[in-house]
Amino acid sequence: MADAPVVTLDLWFQAGSLCEGDAESGLAHFLEHMVFKGSDGLAPGEFDHRIESVGGFSNAATGYDEVNYHAVLPRDGLALACDLLPRLVLCPSLDAEEFELERQVVLEELAQSEDQPEELAFQRLLELACGAHGYGRAILGQRSRLRAHTPGAMEAFRHRHYRSDRSAVAVAGCFDPDEVLALLDRGPLGRLAPADATDRPHPGRLTLSPGEHRLRLPRLESARLLLLWACPPAAEADALTGHDLMATLLAEGRRSRLVQHLREELDLVESVDVEIHPLEEGSLAVLECITGVEQLPRLRQELDCLLNGLTEGIRQEELQRAHRLLRHGHTFGLEATSQVAHLLGQQTLQGRLAPLDAPLERLEGWTLPRLQALADLWRPERACCLEVLPA
Amino acid sequence: MTRFELLHRPGAPTLAARLVLPLGSRQDPGGAAGRQQLLAGVLTRGCGDLGAEAVADLVENRGAQLRCEAGDDLLVLALRCAGDDADQLLPLLLTMAEAPRLEGAQVERERHLNLQTLQRLQEDPFHRCHERLRRQLYGQGPYGHDPLGVASDLAAISADALSVAARDLPTGDAVLVLAGDPPPGLIEAITTRFAGWRAPSPPGRPLEPPAADPLKTVELDTEQAVVMVGFRTVPLSHPDLLPLRLLQVHLAVGMSSRLFQQLREERGLAYEIGVDLSARQEASPCLWYLSTGAPRLAEAIDALEAEWQRVLTLPLSDDELALARAKLRGQDCLSSETASQRADRLALLLGHGLPADHNERALARLEQLEPEDLRAAANRWLTQPMLSVCGPGRALARVRPLAPAPPR
Repeated sequence: MADAPVVTLDLWFQAGSLCEGDAESGLAHFLEHMVFKGSDGLAPGEFDHRIESVGGFSNAATGYDEVNYHAVLPRDGLALACDLLPRLVLCPSLDAEEFELERQVVLEELAQSEDQPEELAFQRLLELACGAHGYGRAILGQRSRLRAHTPGAMEAFRHRHYRSDRSAVAVAGCFDPDEVLALLDRGPLGRLAPADATDRPHPGRLTLSPGEHRLRLPRLESARLLLLWACPPAAEADALTGHDLMATLLAEGRRSRLVQHLREELDLVESVDVEIHPLEEGSLAVLECITGVEQLPRLRQELDCLLNGLTEGIRQEELQRAHRLLRHGHTFGLEATSQVAHLLGQQTLQGRLAPLDAPLERLEGWTLPRLQALADLWRPERACCLEVLPA
Repeated sequence: MTRFELLHRPGAPTLAARLVLPLGSRQDPGGAAGRQQLLAGVLTRGCGDLGAEAVADLVENRGAQLRCEAGDDLLVLALRCAGDDADQLLPLLLTMAEAPRLEGAQVERERHLNLQTLQRLQEDPFHRCHERLRRQLYGQGPYGHDPLGVASDLAAISADALSVAARDLPTGDAVLVLAGDPPPGLIEAITTRFAGWRAPSPPGRPLEPPAADPLKTVELDTEQAVVMVGFRTVPLSHPDLLPLRLLQVHLAVGMSSRLFQQLREERGLAYEIGVDLSARQEASPCLWYLSTGAPRLAEAIDALEAEWQRVLTLPLSDDELALARAKLRGQDCLSSETASQRADRLALLLGHGLPADHNERALARLEQLEPEDLRAAANRWLTQPMLSVCGPGRALARVRPLAPAPPR
């Protein structure tokens, strides 16, 4: 990205919460915190101090499938980030005293999220839909398990999963690739060993449990209606594109089917949203309506009717509109180096690096008959449905 | 005179446009909190020859994004579209301000949605704590409420009142910024039309004085308590905003920041911790906040109080100041990476009546500021803390106001 004044370095590992064994609940995310608490040759806080001294910042995120660590800096800062970030991530000290302090921080993070009723509702939906599968377990972990974790167990987890064949590096901005590769190779990334065959987790495909559920939550002000469907795994990018189109056609913009009918015509919802979460073992499509308690029964009827109605015919204009929205959304979403590095890092990690315009080509392949054939998969009875009401 | 700026990027495939009007929620009349946001929302629901559905079709069929929002000072219309669609979509921005239709049914729909959102936001402890603090700092007047408004006021705003407010929209104080490569003919048509906006915008309503009581609590059955400390500081054009900005960066920007290090890394008191200084036309609010487990509430308040007193009494070290300067320069660079960010930034500066090179001037001034200048600014503006705490009753019972500022 020749004109970019900003550069992003993004490190990825297949070490998300899905890799956790039963006793390891919350460990992937806790480790992501501990990484910033000192490493071989870097005192606690030194990394942040040095990155921020050149005007950059860093952050990290733990998902179900993967964890990533990134630094975003003015472009002259890249060499510094290439030196420090791999050392930070790959050689953490996991000091016992720091471990205790950070455990408190993680417990506060959990408490903060549990004070948001919407978070509780979403987590409950995942539990109900995914059952014992890892996607049904909270990334932040269970409180009792978090209290029991030790630096030793964390190091064992790190050692199993932070491996060369389960990692990826992405850099976006204006730089000399050979120089950057040489820099990275000289550090701990160059010495990182591949995983032992026995350490590869086999989480297995997600089997979704459809059903009807109800939850009452204190401090809830608006009711929620949540539906969750199973979608193809992230590796089936083309199939997933079809579901992206369906989600867009259903709920992106005022003229989408659900927003138009449920909000603009019937005044039944404050908002309705459909999102596809691409995941390795089976993606998720989540529909969320925010509504009034007394409107919920009627909303349920109308929504079922609209979802079933998909099988009766999707119009060419609807498909075209969804096409455009996704196409432009993709273009708008690749302006910043952090966005490009994120996309490339994740694709590389999962072994499916593709040209940046590949999503646009996939879109072109989705004709009306193909999309129409997906409609049956979006029937309400295929979903795990949760009605959330104030206690 | 309206102000038009083009950030020309030859060959750019997309166009970002920002139309900024000095008509934010500060213009909400007494008893009509939420009027400007309601107006902003209704602008997207029909203008000129186009009804609500036709506007949505025009925008969405081209895969464009349009939003319209009232902030505290400014009302912002933002458009992002493919460059090829600019001919169709850019004129719409001006029509929305010149000829909004404000149809009764659309006003009612938007009002209903805003009322629902206000109710739902009550679920969020941070929002509850913030709303309480706003009232302490600014009373019932401007800045005293979320731009969405206050439910009882919002319910009572008449369609006529909205029509009257809409007359102010095509104002000579408007700013339009484009980033991209729009065709020259389109620019000419737009600028000619835009130049016809001449009416002065109404003066901003004066602020109310702060409340007398420096402590308010909101009881909620939550695990954590949210603590917010707020100060009324300077208008964004005031020279003290820069030293205050440096203090904010020092305290809470990045993981190397003082509060993050002292309260989170050293003591494990909180996950989220921050200081906001949102630049406003008048008395910008400076908010310090965190959330912590209810049993540690007193410890957290004591720690915040100690950090606040430290800012008043102890100048930053040379290293701390150098780090804060570097972070501020970095923020400037990182926040102007994309065309949309640059359009946004320029439009907000000009919309606030600041010169286009305001940020460059501020960065040039950075080197001249000494630790003592920051301490002096803190002693001018951060001496009257307001405390708002939200959480379970048993924890709130023991909360006391912060100690008075130490004498200089």
